[in-house]
Amino acid sequence: MRGVLILVPLLLLLLAACQPKGPSPLGAEVAFDPNPPLLGPNRITIRVDTKKKLSELKVVGDMTHAGMVPVEAEARQVSPGLWETQDFKFTMRGDWVITLEAKDSSGKRYQQEVRITVP
Amino acid sequence: MKTLRFDLLRLPLLGRFLRWRYSRFALQLPLLLLALLALYDGFFGRQLAPKNFATVSVWLHYRGLLVLAVAVAGNLFCAACPLLLVRGPTRFAKRYLPQLSWPTRLRNKYFVIALTLVYLFAYEYWDLWASPWLTAWLIVGYFGAAFVVDALFPEGTFCKYVCPLGNFNFALSTASPSQIGARDPEVCLRCEGKYCVNGRVDTPQGPKTLKEAPTENAPRYPGCETKLYVPQIRSNMDCTFCMNCVRACPYDNVAWGLRWPGLEWVRARYKQDVVWLGVLLYFAGFMNAFGMIPAYYSLAEGLSRLLGTRSEALLLGSIYLLWTGLGVGLTLGVSVLADRVSGRRDRPWRSLRRWGIAYFPMAFAMWAGHYAFHFLTGWASIVPVAQQALLHLGLPLGQPDWTLAALVPENWLYPLQVAIIYLGLAGASYTLFARAKREGATAGAAVIFAYLLILATLTLWVLAQPMEMRGTLLLSPST
Repeated sequence: MRGVLILVPLLLLLLAACQPKGPSPLGAEVAFDPNPPLLGPNRITIRVDTKKKLSELKVVGDMTHAGMVPVEAEARQVSPGLWETQDFKFTMRGDWVITLEAKDSSGKRYQQEVRITVP
Repeated sequence: MKTLRFDLLRLPLLGRFLRWRYSRFALQLPLLLLALLALYDGFFGRQLAPKNFATVSVWLHYRGLLVLAVAVAGNLFCAACPLLLVRGPTRFAKRYLPQLSWPTRLRNKYFVIALTLVYLFAYEYWDLWASPWLTAWLIVGYFGAAFVVDALFPEGTFCKYVCPLGNFNFALSTASPSQIGARDPEVCLRCEGKYCVNGRVDTPQGPKTLKEAPTENAPRYPGCETKLYVPQIRSNMDCTFCMNCVRACPYDNVAWGLRWPGLEWVRARYKQDVVWLGVLLYFAGFMNAFGMIPAYYSLAEGLSRLLGTRSEALLLGSIYLLWTGLGVGLTLGVSVLADRVSGRRDRPWRSLRRWGIAYFPMAFAMWAGHYAFHFLTGWASIVPVAQQALLHLGLPLGQPDWTLAALVPENWLYPLQVAIIYLGLAGASYTLFARAKREGATAGAAVIFAYLLILATLTLWVLAQPMEMRGTLLLSPST
C-alpha cells in the first residue's frame, strides 16, 4: 500500500512533463464603457499592436468564484489595431477576470487577463 | 438499538465491502487522487478560480456533495477522508518521535471551534475561494497538520480535537438518517475485550485486544480511534464512519442502522462544548453567506468611515467579532430568558446547554442552503476543469466546454434554499418542543422558537439578496 502511495504522485509528476506551452502575452490596452462597468451590457475596447496581425479576438469574463458561467463575446475589428465588443453582459456584481484570447493569421495564440470590479 | 431500524450492513454487497479490511483505503484512494489533481492544478494550472480544478472541486463540489451525503446517508466524507492516508508515514515517524498525549484541557471542542473561526476569517481575508494557489496550499496544510498531529499524538486525536472540517462534518451529521449502534446490547455486555474500542487480534487462543497481543503475528483490526463504545453511541458526533468497529467486533454485533433524520437532537445529551460548536457553526455559516451580499460591503464602508481605517483585516475582524459576539450574547440571553419563563434559574452556560441543541438543525440548514446554491449553480463545471487539468498532464481529452455549469434553472435556487431553511426551522422546533415537553418547559421552548424564527427570517433575507463576489471589502477610490 505504501508503494502505491509513493508511485501515484511520482507518476503524476512524470505526466506533468507533458504540459503544453501556453499562449503568448497580448499586451493590449483595454477600456470599458461605462467605466467602471455596470451590470448588463457594456462596451469593451481593445487596442492591440497592429504588428500582431490578429485575425480573431474573443473576450471571456469569469467571476473569481468557482462555478459561475463565463460570459463570452467575439470582438470585431473597427479599425486597424482597434477591436471592440458592444454587448458584453456582466451578470453579477463583484470581481471579474476578463480574458482576451486572440489568434493571428498564422494561428499563433495570445492571451491577456484584466481584473476588474463591477460595483 | 431501538432507535435504529434497517441495518445497512445486512445488504449483501455493501456489508461485505465494509467488512473488508481495505474498504476504507478503497474509498480514500479516489479522493486522494482527486486531491493530488487539485494540488497539481492549484500549483501549476491557470490561476483563475472558475477554471481551476483545485478551486472548483474544493469550494463547489466537496462542500456541496458533503452536505448532500450527510443529508441522505451520513458522514461519508470522513469515511473516505484521504488525510488519514498519512497514517503509513506517521507510523514510521512515530519510531523516532516522542509520543505525547493530547492535553486534558484541550480534550473538547473549544480548540477546534477556535481553529474553525480562524479558518473562516482566513477564508474571507485571503479570498481562498478565489485562489487556486492558496487552495492548493490549504490542502497541503491539512495533510501537513494531519501528519504532525498523528505522528506526535495518539491516533484519532486529529479527527476528534483538531480537524475543523471533520468537526464540521460531525456537527452536520447529527442530522443524518443513519448511525452506528449495537445490534444486540446484551452481546456487548458480555463482551470482555470491548474490541470495538480496543481493537482485535485473532490469536490461536481466541480474540484479544491490540494491547493484550501487541506482537501477535495475525491480522489486526484497529478499534474506534475517537474512542466511541458502540453500545453507548447515541449520536453521530465524533463518528468518522471508518467502520473499524464493524471489523473489530468478533461477534458481528455492530449495525449501521437507519434512523429518523435528526432523531438524536431530541434524544442525545450534548456536552457544553458540543453545544457551542453547533451555535457557532450557525452564526459562522450566517456570516459566511452574509459576506457575499451588498449589505456586507455597505457595512464595511460604513465601519471604515467610522473607524477611519481601510485595513481589511481590522474591518473584517471587527465585523466577525461584532456578529459572533452579538450572536453569542443574544443566544445566551435568550436561553436564560427561556429558563426563567419555565421557572428555572440556572447559570447562562447551563441554560445554553439546555436549549442549544436547537441550533444544530439551524446550522445544518444554513450551510446546506448556502452550499446547495453554489453546487447547483456550477456543478457541471467540474467536467471542463477536470478535462483541462488532465489536458495539462498530457491526456488527450478534447477541448473543455466552459458553458457547462448549472444543474437546475436559476429561478429554482431561492425556493430550494427557502425550503431548506424551513426544514431546518421545522427540525429545530420539533427538537425544542419534544425536549421541552419531556422536561415540562414548553413556555421556554416558545421563547427560543421566537428567537429562531427571527434568525430564520434574517437568513432568508440574506439568501434573497443579489450575490456579489468580491475579494476586497472596500472598493478602491478609482472605481
